[in-house]
Amino acid sequence: MRIYTYLSKKVGDLTIKYSNFPESYVKRSFEQVYWRTPKGYPQYTDAEVSRKKFRFTTNRPWTGAFARQNERGTLRKKVFVEPIKEWSFFKGDRVEILVGKDKGKQGIVAQVIQERNWVFVEGLNTHLRVVGKDKEFPGIVVQNEAPLLVTTDVKLVDPESLKATEVEWRYTEDGEKVRVSVSSSRIIPIPKAAEETTDYKSKELYIENPEKDTTADEAAKITFSPKLRTFEMDIMEEMGIKEDRVPAMSYWY
Amino acid sequence: MNKSKIAPLINLVCKRNITLTTPREGKRNFRKFVIPNKRGSRIHKIQQTGPNHELPIDKRGVRDIGYMLNGKFVQVPEMIPELIVPDLSNCTLKPYVSYKTEDVVQSEFSSQQLFDAVYSKKIVLDFKQGKLDESGLPLQPSEEEKLQPKEAIAQAKRTGSDIF
Repeated sequence: MRIYTYLSKKVGDLTIKYSNFPESYVKRSFEQVYWRTPKGYPQYTDAEVSRKKFRFTTNRPWTGAFARQNERGTLRKKVFVEPIKEWSFFKGDRVEILVGKDKGKQGIVAQVIQERNWVFVEGLNTHLRVVGKDKEFPGIVVQNEAPLLVTTDVKLVDPESLKATEVEWRYTEDGEKVRVSVSSSRIIPIPKAAEETTDYKSKELYIENPEKDTTADEAAKITFSPKLRTFEMDIMEEMGIKEDRVPAMSYWY
Repeated sequence: MNKSKIAPLINLVCKRNITLTTPREGKRNFRKFVIPNKRGSRIHKIQQTGPNHELPIDKRGVRDIGYMLNGKFVQVPEMIPELIVPDLSNCTLKPYVSYKTEDVVQSEFSSQQLFDAVYSKKIVLDFKQGKLDESGLPLQPSEEEKLQPKEAIAQAKRTGSDIF
C-alpha cells in the first residue's frame, strides 16, 4: 500500500522533461506541507504533516488550476492508476484506438499525461461541448478529445504493417534500448515530437535569449589550466589579495 | 469489594489536572521545546538577556564574529565574512546556459593528472639531459619541486581556509 501511495504522489518523468523544470521545483510547487519540525534541533524527530493524495488531471502540477483543484480540505474519490514500469507512449506516436466510438482508427498522440496513464489522440475519441451558454447567447460548440488509457484503450502501431501490436523494450546490438513490436520484431523509433518541451520543439530550434543565455560555443570553451594551487589560493592570486600571515598549527587527536 | 475488582477501576480515576497558577509560577519551560528569541513570557525574555540564561541563545544559524573574554565580547575582524566578487564587466558568461549546448562527458580530474601537468615535463627534460642524481632527484629543482609538505600546508592555510 505504501509503495502505491508513493507512486501516486510521484509526477511522471515525461511531465518533468516536458516542463523543463528541475524535479525539485515541480515537487515543491504542488506539495502542501502543513507542519514540519524545525531542523537543527535534536529534540525534534523529523516529522512532516502534509497532503498526501492529489488528483492529477490535464492541468499540470505547477499550475494554479491544479492548486485550486487540490486545495486544502478537498477530498476526491480515489482514482486507481495501474503503475507501469516501462512507459512506451510518446508524443507523436502513431496509435490505434481499441475502444469507443473511434474503435479501429489510428491517430497521432497529441499529449501524454503519465500520472493518470492517459494519452490524447489528435482528433479522435472526441465529444462536443457547449461553451459560454447564456440566456441570450446559444453558446459555441467545441470539440474536445477524451483521454484514453494506455493499458487498455490504445496500442502502438507497427511502422510497416500499420497494424496494432504489443510492444517490448529490447536492446539492439549497439546497446541502445528501443521499442520492438513483439509480432514482427520491427523497431518502433521514438518520434521527433517527443523531444518537445515548453521552451522548444527540439533543441536545435531553440532561440537563445542574448541577455540571459550563455551561447553554446561560449559554454563549450575550455578555460581550465591545471595549477599547483588550492581553489582559495587561485582566487587570491586572481584577485590580487596578498596575505603573509600564517595561522597557528592545529592538531586533531 | 475484593482487591481484584479495585485494580481495573483505577483506570477510571481522573489523572489529568490543569495548572491553576499563573504561567511564571506554573508550567515551566521544558528544554525539549524550542523557544526562540521572540517567544516566551516577559520574565523569560529578560532572563535570557542577562548572564544566567536557562536556555542557549538561538542564533538562528548566524555565527559569531568574535569570542567572549572576561564577560566582554571581543570582535575578530578576520571572522567577519567578506564577499569577494570579481569584476564582471567583461564576463561573457550569462546566468543561464542555452539548450543547444552539447552534453559534456568529462572524467574526474585526478591528482595523477595534476602531477603530470605540473612536474612531468621537467622530469623528462632532466632525465634526457642527465641532470638527475643517483636516487632520481633533480640537481636543479624548480620552485614546485622544492616545495616541502610543511610549506605547502602553510601556503594553503594562508588563505584562511581551515580544511587543510
